[in-house]
Amino acid sequence: MTRTRQWFFAALSVMATGGLWAAESAMTPEQLGAVVKVESLTIPMPGEFFAAISKQGRPAWKTLVRVGTPQTTSSRAQIALALGTLVADGYIAVEAQDSAAVKNIGKEIIGLAKKLNVSESVLGRGRSLNDFAENNDWNALREELEATQNEVKLDMEEQKDQSLVTLVTVGAWIRGTDIVSGLVAAGYTPESARLLRQPAIIEYLLSKLAELPKGMQKDELVGTVRSSLEKALTLVKEETPSEEKVKELHQTMAAVVNDIAKGPQDS
Amino acid sequence: MTRYFCLLTLVAAATVHAEGDAPQAAQNETDLSARSKALELAGAFSNDGYKIRDGYWSGEIETDRPQFLEVNLFAGNEYWFSAAATPPARKIAVAVFDEKGKPVDFQTYEDGPVAAAGFAPEVSGRYFVKLTALEGGKSQFCLLYSYK
Repeated sequence: MTRTRQWFFAALSVMATGGLWAAESAMTPEQLGAVVKVESLTIPMPGEFFAAISKQGRPAWKTLVRVGTPQTTSSRAQIALALGTLVADGYIAVEAQDSAAVKNIGKEIIGLAKKLNVSESVLGRGRSLNDFAENNDWNALREELEATQNEVKLDMEEQKDQSLVTLVTVGAWIRGTDIVSGLVAAGYTPESARLLRQPAIIEYLLSKLAELPKGMQKDELVGTVRSSLEKALTLVKEETPSEEKVKELHQTMAAVVNDIAKGPQDS
Repeated sequence: MTRYFCLLTLVAAATVHAEGDAPQAAQNETDLSARSKALELAGAFSNDGYKIRDGYWSGEIETDRPQFLEVNLFAGNEYWFSAAATPPARKIAVAVFDEKGKPVDFQTYEDGPVAAAGFAPEVSGRYFVKLTALEGGKSQFCLLYSYK
């Protein structure tokens, strides 16, 4: 609580405030049932996840930058999932302050977005990512990566491709969790393990996968993703996931990231 | 910087749209006004290292009919939820609740139709952000959040 109060008081010095610890009554069952979910706020971005894990000890981000690009196939589901994982990779490159990697990942994101027929307007985002990376403007890059992902999703929504929007979100969350669970598993502490407690997010992502068109739900890779999320849900329900569960979560997420990168194998 | 550029672009788009559809344009301008004010407030926290999320929650709010947004927060991070409403709203408030619907310890900032709540969770997971219109009539609102 001490640290909490410290930053509150720091904020107090910046601006006038209404007061500390405002009195509020508990939410009613009706209010709990009428809660709004806005995907662009309800689901945290990988950057938020990485900011939290960085406070547990600075990870060696440079060693986590993924080498090699996801293979892409004719499967739009696989391309959308791979695009999501690349957004998370972009944040890793930003944390590593690796401008060459940011530029490459930016190019790959735009390349995959083109394969999904997003509009030319998204291409400008690629140029911005490049410019910010050139100037080592890491804070701007964090914002630009999220803005790029949101613009790609907006374009997909306009093209009535809501299913692809879902898969981009799922891909980004899976890759972010792959990285953070790997870091926690490598140096387990109960405090760091608590960051992985995200059952509400997994339930939300599973509900969105259940809304995909039937044809896409039969996609083998989408099926693998769904079963991996179902398994992950059983591993992160406790307030402090155990070391064994964190390791199992990491193995599950790493395997599905690998499956997304490989894409469906032609027989 | 890019965020403000986007906002300017939206304003320009709303202005162009106004030529053909006045009521819709007025609605857009109201939305933009709420978003602009919320961004202005959140921008104050940026000076202290907070990063503003690109997304936002907007809509219509009435006095004494609070609305709740679900968010998923990480222990160790610090958050500010900034909101603004357009006239006739005169006073709004933002509050934070845990996943069971119980109020948490949070900091408040209130300045008429602009308000914020600051929160540093000790447990990762689901939380709810409450937006209440305390005075004034039905209004447009915008809420966004920053973290560090």
